[in-house]
Amino acid sequence: MPDFLLQTVFNASYAASYMALVAVGLVLIFGVMGVINFAHGELYMAGAYAIVFFYAWLGLPFVVAVGLGLFFAGCLGVLMELALFRPLRTNPLGGLIASIGFLLILQTLAVLGFGLRNQTVPPVSQGRLTIGGAILTYERLYVIVATVVLLAVLWLFLRRSKFGWALRACAQDREAAALQGISINQTARYAMFIGAALAGVAGAMTAPLVAPSPFMGHGIIVTAFIIIIVGGIGSLEGAVLAAVLYAFVHTFVTTFFDGVIANIVGLLLMLAVLVVKPQGLFGVRERA
Amino acid sequence: MKPASSITLNRRTLLTGAASAALLPVVGMPKASFAQDNVVKIGFLAPLTGAVAAWGKPGLDGCRIWADWVNEAGGIEVGGQSYKVELVSYDDEDDAGKARTGATQLIRENDVKFIMMLGGNSWPGVEEIAARQGMMVSTLLPSDLTPDTETLIAPCEVHPIYNVTGVDWLAANRPELKTAVVCAQDDALGKPSVATYLAAFEAAGIQMASPPLFFDPATTDFAPVMTQLLANNPDILCLDTCYADYVQPLCEQAFQQGYKGQIISCTLDFYQRIVERTSKEFMEGVIFQFPDFDDQALNDPRINFRKPNEFYAEYVKRYGANEWSAVSWEYSSILDLWADAAQRAGSIEPDAVLAAMKDGGTGKHAFGEARWWGKELFGIDNALVGDWPVVVIRDGKATIAEFRSIPEWWDKNSELLLKHMSDLGLLWNQRT
Amino acid sequence: MPEKNTIGAAGIAGILILAALLIAAPHVVSFSQQELLVLLTINVLVVASYRLQTLTGEWSLAHVVMMGSGAYASALFAKSFGFPVPLAMIGGAIVAGLVAALMSFPLFRMKGFYFLIGSFAAGEILRLIWKRFTNPFGGPKGIQRIPGFPEIDLGFIRIDFYDPANYYYLVLAVVLVSLWVLYRIEKSRIGLTFHAIHWQDKLSESVGVDAFRYRMLAFVVAAFFAGLAGALYAHYLSTVNPNQFDVNTMVYVLIWTIVGGTTRWYGPILGVVTLTIIDEVILRGIGADQVRPLLYGGILILAILFLPNGLESLVMRASDALRRNRGQATSGAMVRE
Repeated sequence: MPDFLLQTVFNASYAASYMALVAVGLVLIFGVMGVINFAHGELYMAGAYAIVFFYAWLGLPFVVAVGLGLFFAGCLGVLMELALFRPLRTNPLGGLIASIGFLLILQTLAVLGFGLRNQTVPPVSQGRLTIGGAILTYERLYVIVATVVLLAVLWLFLRRSKFGWALRACAQDREAAALQGISINQTARYAMFIGAALAGVAGAMTAPLVAPSPFMGHGIIVTAFIIIIVGGIGSLEGAVLAAVLYAFVHTFVTTFFDGVIANIVGLLLMLAVLVVKPQGLFGVRERA
Repeated sequence: MKPASSITLNRRTLLTGAASAALLPVVGMPKASFAQDNVVKIGFLAPLTGAVAAWGKPGLDGCRIWADWVNEAGGIEVGGQSYKVELVSYDDEDDAGKARTGATQLIRENDVKFIMMLGGNSWPGVEEIAARQGMMVSTLLPSDLTPDTETLIAPCEVHPIYNVTGVDWLAANRPELKTAVVCAQDDALGKPSVATYLAAFEAAGIQMASPPLFFDPATTDFAPVMTQLLANNPDILCLDTCYADYVQPLCEQAFQQGYKGQIISCTLDFYQRIVERTSKEFMEGVIFQFPDFDDQALNDPRINFRKPNEFYAEYVKRYGANEWSAVSWEYSSILDLWADAAQRAGSIEPDAVLAAMKDGGTGKHAFGEARWWGKELFGIDNALVGDWPVVVIRDGKATIAEFRSIPEWWDKNSELLLKHMSDLGLLWNQRT
Repeated sequence: MPEKNTIGAAGIAGILILAALLIAAPHVVSFSQQELLVLLTINVLVVASYRLQTLTGEWSLAHVVMMGSGAYASALFAKSFGFPVPLAMIGGAIVAGLVAALMSFPLFRMKGFYFLIGSFAAGEILRLIWKRFTNPFGGPKGIQRIPGFPEIDLGFIRIDFYDPANYYYLVLAVVLVSLWVLYRIEKSRIGLTFHAIHWQDKLSESVGVDAFRYRMLAFVVAAFFAGLAGALYAHYLSTVNPNQFDVNTMVYVLIWTIVGGTTRWYGPILGVVTLTIIDEVILRGIGADQVRPLLYGGILILAILFLPNGLESLVMRASDALRRNRGQATSGAMVRE
């Protein structure tokens, strides 16, 4: 039994990691720009396909491929900002529609470029950590480590750099930030790049583990929104903690009951938070 | 690993795909009409875009090869006339409403003589139209069959019944294995397949070490699932009919969690990659039901699939090895059956072809002579059931171990299968 | 907001032309397009009822689940309880309204984005219940062989509703009546109160308007009509399953509403008609199935970039131009920017 629990803890930690990356990315975009980016799951998918292309097909080292995936997804994010979200800054519903359009385009490009079926990526490492009877493969461990590192870097960036302060100011109150002389457009570009890059990195790191397909972004986006609601929309720390909470609850319920019940539990959890504390566990401010 | 050849193949696919996508609206759809010749139109109504497209589009691609070969040879000769074959496709996006619209277009506007469908979610939208119009329709999902629609047939895929052959072979060749567990995605395909495996295990005297585990189709992390499955150390791990995106992570998890027993599955898509990600030793002896089409055993005269090795080679050449799956050849094998029946009937009209196809209660299934069967399970004998290959991985390669007979298993064990199907509420008369 | 409420001669002519078009429609299109007409008309009701709900300023993501509730309820009433189909349809609509009423209590404690996600969660939970329980909802395969609308046999006239043209007229009649009701509600005091709650909810509450009751009213009425649309859909296709009412379908409703336009009552209707014709007729006609989603996505982006106020802004500009040409007062031309 203790082995079983430890195994489940390992499984949950892995799930919490990539979900945290995706959720934090989404918070940055939604929190700073107020835009619901439906295509966020496809940015995750883009990162995964970057690995297919650079690592599986071209044979570049995995770390390099992940870096390229991060950069590629980030650039897609900036493209979305420049072409879609900036012209539609005053029209958030319009931004939502544009992101749906972009989602369809990305999915179709993935099908046209890589085919309909799942791709498989060669293993990065076959090593594993064994504690008692519980196993944590290095591939999963890398995801956990990378998440911790990336989030730590992000935290430092947000706390120490000028752009970081600008981002947080925009997330808190866009108009006040503008009054302080912060360029909304520039901040938005940064936020989009970082947010998209985080989703891309999550996709890239999990690509060896999940067999990328053009539609893999679909499940991620719903979970990501649940997590940021539970964590609180403006709060990056909240997103991380909510990701951990959600991943652990979901993994444990799946292991001990089944996946459909876990989904229902996740939704109920979110509803409960919405009813009891709508700002989320770490909510910064209420967005009307 | 053969990086060079796989890169060339895939780059070519990438470029061809992009180029044809860019040019198609300009050049116009290759639904070229054959002006002077007689043409027989055959409808292809399946998901071509969207999340389920992998069950439809590769089939259309395979059918295009079939049609090209037939047309290059001058067409098919029916009743003294030579007909070119024209495929008319409609993307039903796995939706009943769109399928209904598509069926209406295909039948009443395109004048097709036969419609091939994937089935499942889309079939109920077409049901009444097919019945009223007397259109012959084929499905890959025998669970669609209903006594209310005599013109719907399941002539190739007989999922999940063929799964009994794998268990049957396993019991005969490894009688020392006594316990099993099974898992499946919780959807319309997973449940009947589980019922079949449960019946097959029971018929073979194998005990279930724990109740069947149904997981959410959206699962991506299979570690918890595998942990649960292996909890009682089963001799046999049955992956049921898990799709490509499940079967690979499941095998990997089994490997990583140190499983040393026998694995049996219905599908094992991309098994080469699974071998790469686990090991040859781990995958040695894994049993499943879908042969590689470059397997020489398919050249046996009893096989009714035309030129299987060349078909595979052509498919890979046009679309890339990654796009190949069972779907790629199954629809084409239905076309073989249709063409044969049309020639015997001397007519391309649906009622005549159907009568010829079912004549004598037997038919030429892809894997050999078969019988029309299914009354107890589906309410009508419209599934073509005969032999099915049992495929075993040996030294990292899928090889056909044996062709086993489904009707023979059924004749001995039908009550078990009926019992398990009934327990899960899957018999035709239990449908809501 | 100000728009001309009286109908001039041009308006009457327009209505007559529209009526003629609607009645003639099934006879001038192909067989498969008749089927599309039925589905399109049903979707018009879905989208028009959604508009009513959004008037209060809250955007629910549970709307297609309300449609599904009506569909499932009507199917079960007809199949399991043996109700005559017309009665089952009304029953389905009522059930959808009841579901919405129940959901109002937890959901309307939230506002804005939270309500959006909360409504999604509530709807999704219901949909997962349909998916999980084969008894009585049929599980992932849903319910099949739902009886169709009964044939009308009066000796001299036989109307078989299996025929899409006939079903279209039935649906058209129901939808037109429903649209009239929805329009009247929007233009009435209740509708004005909805607007007030949307734009000035604190102010409305200070004059004694119970925002919760009005939000709930909008939600329930919208659900009723969505449920009615769902019932019409169920008895046409003879099948319902949980996939038909998932988030993808809801996204389409959002797309139709937003691209169509949110300030005029006809905005969403314009959206659904235009986009459906583009997707199902034009894009399919090109024959490049594989790129159809890409083209549709591109069209959405272009539409929203160039017509940020929706397709209705084209209609408004056209009618302004007409009015100016006639030299009439331009007061009706003030468009919300």
